[in-house]
Amino acid sequence: MAAEWIEPPVRSGKGYRVPSPDYSPLFPRDHGAHREYGLEWWYWVGHLKADGNLKNFGFQSTVFRVAGDPVKSLGNEDGLFGNRHLFLAHSALSDIKEKRYIHHERVMREGWQARADSSTLSLLAGGIEAEMLPGNKGHRLITRYPNGGRLELELFPLKPLVRFGERGLSRKGDGAASVSWYWSYTRLQAEGTLYLNNTEHKVRGEAWMDHEISSSQLGQGLAGWDWTCMQLNEGTEVKAYRLRQEDGGSDRWSSVYWIDSKGEVAQVYADHFTWEEEDAWTSPATDLSYPTSVKIAAIHPIAGQVSYYLRPLLANQEFLGNRADNAYWEGACEVLDEDGVVIGRAYLELAGYGGGLGARLN
Amino acid sequence: MGHYFLLLGIVAVGVGAFNGIRQASRSASANFGLFNQAVSGQSDFLIESPVQRLLEEDLAKLTRLSKEPDWHLVPVIEGSVTAVKNGSEDKKQLRLIGLDLLALGNLPTLAKEGLKFSDEDANWYDWLGSKNEVWVGQKTADLLEVKQGDSISFLASGRLVKMKIRMILNDPDGNLPDDLVLADLPTVQTLLSRPGELNRVEVVIDQVNRREDTAYLNDIENRLARELPQNLSLAPTQNRAADRAAMTAAFRLNLTILSLIAILVGAYLILQALDAAVVRRRSEIATLRSLGVDGSILFTTYVLEALVLGLFGSVAGVGVGQVLAFGAVGMLSDTVNALYFATSVEALNLTSIDVIVGLVLGIVFSLLAGWLPARDATQTPPAQVLARGDWSPGFSWLRSPVIGLGLLLLGGIALLFPPFVMEAGSNMPVGGFLAAGCWILGAALLSGHVLVLLAGWVRPFCSGPVFRLASSRLRDGSSRHRLAVAGLVVAVSMVTGMFQMIDSFRGTIEEWFDVRFQADLYISESGVTGAGTVNGIDPRLMDELLKDPNIKYADVMRICYAKPPRGVTVLAGVDMKHWSDQARQIWLKAPGSLQAVDGAEPALVSETFARRFGVMAGGVVELGTPDGTKKISPFGIFCDYGNEFGMAAISSDIWSDWTGSDRPINVSLYLRDRAKLLETRDRLRLAYPGLDVRNERELRDVALGIFEQTFKATDALSFIGLAVAFAGLLLGLLSIFDESTQTWQTLKHLGFSTHGFILAAGLEGAGIGVAAWVAGAITGLALGWLLVFVINVQSFGWTLLWTVPVESILWFGLLLTVVGFVSGMIAAIYWNFRR
Repeated sequence: MAAEWIEPPVRSGKGYRVPSPDYSPLFPRDHGAHREYGLEWWYWVGHLKADGNLKNFGFQSTVFRVAGDPVKSLGNEDGLFGNRHLFLAHSALSDIKEKRYIHHERVMREGWQARADSSTLSLLAGGIEAEMLPGNKGHRLITRYPNGGRLELELFPLKPLVRFGERGLSRKGDGAASVSWYWSYTRLQAEGTLYLNNTEHKVRGEAWMDHEISSSQLGQGLAGWDWTCMQLNEGTEVKAYRLRQEDGGSDRWSSVYWIDSKGEVAQVYADHFTWEEEDAWTSPATDLSYPTSVKIAAIHPIAGQVSYYLRPLLANQEFLGNRADNAYWEGACEVLDEDGVVIGRAYLELAGYGGGLGARLN
Repeated sequence: MGHYFLLLGIVAVGVGAFNGIRQASRSASANFGLFNQAVSGQSDFLIESPVQRLLEEDLAKLTRLSKEPDWHLVPVIEGSVTAVKNGSEDKKQLRLIGLDLLALGNLPTLAKEGLKFSDEDANWYDWLGSKNEVWVGQKTADLLEVKQGDSISFLASGRLVKMKIRMILNDPDGNLPDDLVLADLPTVQTLLSRPGELNRVEVVIDQVNRREDTAYLNDIENRLARELPQNLSLAPTQNRAADRAAMTAAFRLNLTILSLIAILVGAYLILQALDAAVVRRRSEIATLRSLGVDGSILFTTYVLEALVLGLFGSVAGVGVGQVLAFGAVGMLSDTVNALYFATSVEALNLTSIDVIVGLVLGIVFSLLAGWLPARDATQTPPAQVLARGDWSPGFSWLRSPVIGLGLLLLGGIALLFPPFVMEAGSNMPVGGFLAAGCWILGAALLSGHVLVLLAGWVRPFCSGPVFRLASSRLRDGSSRHRLAVAGLVVAVSMVTGMFQMIDSFRGTIEEWFDVRFQADLYISESGVTGAGTVNGIDPRLMDELLKDPNIKYADVMRICYAKPPRGVTVLAGVDMKHWSDQARQIWLKAPGSLQAVDGAEPALVSETFARRFGVMAGGVVELGTPDGTKKISPFGIFCDYGNEFGMAAISSDIWSDWTGSDRPINVSLYLRDRAKLLETRDRLRLAYPGLDVRNERELRDVALGIFEQTFKATDALSFIGLAVAFAGLLLGLLSIFDESTQTWQTLKHLGFSTHGFILAAGLEGAGIGVAAWVAGAITGLALGWLLVFVINVQSFGWTLLWTVPVESILWFGLLLTVVGFVSGMIAAIYWNFRR
């Protein structure tokens, strides 16, 4: 569904390049870092089964790249303690059966502990590593957790890569520069090994990968966002996000995307869907209240009215960062229909409930 | 009542001196360079290279380890800079620490405390990696009189650089030392002209609440060790403190022994005081004995009195120790800085062990001191009281020379004991210290005989009743006279011995200077004065400087730490041809007199090095260097008094190959036109404000300055010893006069005037002073020999030229005589007043 077109500028207010419309990415090069853009992230979530389906795990691995000085950040960093870019690494594992959530954050400057290749997917940040597999048929993701835990996955696309947004730009606000290149593998076959508590588990499941590049992510007046990606059992995926305004309303650029079994995308904006909070969980650690059970009701351009009910598989999936005000909830969920029947799996992200997120991402 | 307070005070000072020195030396040498921990919190493990210098390529090899969430790797570079206060000549040496300021935010304690390096609204890239910004705590800011945003000039690596105070670090608990300057790691690498270098990598575990869980820590250590590159070592952080503690163990033990001498003198004072109490109450005791009071009851009473005094005195002593420690800690840390390595003072802390040790020492010494007077009191027969004044069975053993002679002999035998090899490779001269103890005690016991002998010699020359009275009383040599001399002898011999060692040291260094330093100008990094400091001059700066047209030859020296099988030593890179053929040295073995072993790098080694590694007659020593383990073999041995870890000098080219560095530590310049020496010096000073450019005279002054610094602690302890000894003399004389009441009264009846009595007392005091000086000086000479030829050689590995400061000793004798005379008169006046 078409929306108003706002032409993005060439550069953001701070001087970074702004993603341009009609860009044709070239892979694997564009899996790599885009140093001239202010903000970039690589994001993986997924649901895994182990030990003959006796154990279920959800995982989230995210690497953020934040550019420094707009002029200097373009150059390559050759020192071990660079100051052109910094990286954040967020790793989390939800052990559904044991009702355990382990996570950790690292913030690093580009150098000996963190780097991202510009010519292909080759990432290192904290405990997260990602690289293309030989022949570029898939990629490898390694994520480390506290107490010696490690998840090693090989991920193979089951569907082609999806580019979201009109003319290849995903808009997140009214600001002309509030656009991103937003590319996703909405269904990846995941296979590998999880080392947890000194035990090795063979794991298998499905994952989702986002790679988003921008220079001014959110529009003005936004407090945060609620975001979900759903992988439905019938082979389609849904991505939905609500950009929450400081007054409690939803920004008009909030969207729902449907990806059909062939990878074709349909989209509606805020005026065609609702995001209703059905239940909330209050964190004993931060006292923040997160609406972890939600109903998303939307009007599909072809199928008409559809509703998805998201229910967390584990209540406490709150990610506590190094900074006290950086907490967010991001966790494995199941998707139910109107009748309460499980129709798929999801990951739900609830960010900005601690305040101040919007300002930091601009 | 005042008498008891005096006794309590004596015990308190004795215990306080011991405890104060103990605490101060611990505080001054406990921090050992992990200054960054004030910022980054406690670390759990250290990753180091054998030579205490890591290259960035080593760090790159640790990338794999850095991925684990269970720990944080914290690379550290540190060095020293000199702050030059704006608009003044005032300079202050500071510790400069480089840390990855961004990654610090990941550390559990820091993340919790929210240590900030910039204001909220600043971009991270405005301050991270900033080339000219530093951070300081409030204490440093106060010291430098700067505030946020101010500029400050630093002398670093020979350059004068202007830095901006980015922020005053939030330090509510005052943990940051007052000499700490923090900057981003690459900034410090540049400032210290050590690109690509680090000192170490510290490991902080993420789950800090499991620090007490040994199994967990072992598991972490094993996981770290599995992935560690071969050329690096891993050890728990507390081991480093232990290693560094071992490096200064000899120094600290010396201090402890000196403070024990102070407590021994204190015990002597207690003994004098309790004895004085017994003497004063002699008639009271005699009356009690006449009334049938059992001797054992009297004994118990006096011992209990000593116990109570010991207990309360020790409690007070613990407090006095704290006060003394406050005073001594700065002085001791200066000494540690000058002698070993940069250290900053850690907050003084009184542990339960300190309290227990203080109490035990005070009580035990008080009981020992109280035992003799108590026995004396017990054995007082009623009839004896009126019969004769001088009656002291408790000290009759002072009249027998056997024990004294035995102790002298025992001391001689102790010299045969080999030194005890300590953990860091340094030696503790156990036999030397035992011999010193035996000789001091032996001399103290024999000193009474010296008194009697001297008085016997003088007596025939005495005319007039006053002189004859004084000399005959001294010739009689009562036990109390002997006791007074003995106490003084301990202090006098200790001080005379120290005088000699210090003078020998000074003389040797001056001699060494005269021979060794023949160049025209000496250049080093400004402000860095510690003997153990390895900082250096920016090589580019040095290249530039050496282009000066008046320089004929430059003897450039480079040094780094190297790792022998035990402890640490210094490896120098020098122009071997110049060192062998032209440079003047005091050679123990001239170059070529030893045959270097084939396959090992030929080296000129210091005497300390040769003794430590057993190559006085040649041989091979294996040293860990950044380029792996290397063999060196001496072909000459020179005298060097720079450090006690020893030094091996090899060719500069090889040194650079082994260390991957060419940063000089200093340079000696020989000029084409010596007439233009001052002109050249001033020109270089102007062109290179970050370098110290000195001629030979100026260098000598600086070196002697360090030397004087080193002996500050010794001077202070000598002073305490002397002060206590004089107080003891005063108390001893009071006892003597108390005991001689009958004699004085008889003399008075015979027409002896009060003035005559006071003068006689003064002469008696002077006689004791002279006897103590003669016995103490002889013992002191023996002690001096012991310190120079046994203790120094075994502790530090260097031979000093033995110098006897005859003039100082004579002046000291005169001082003792005068002080003895005055003490005698004061005691007599007081005694007379009391009567």
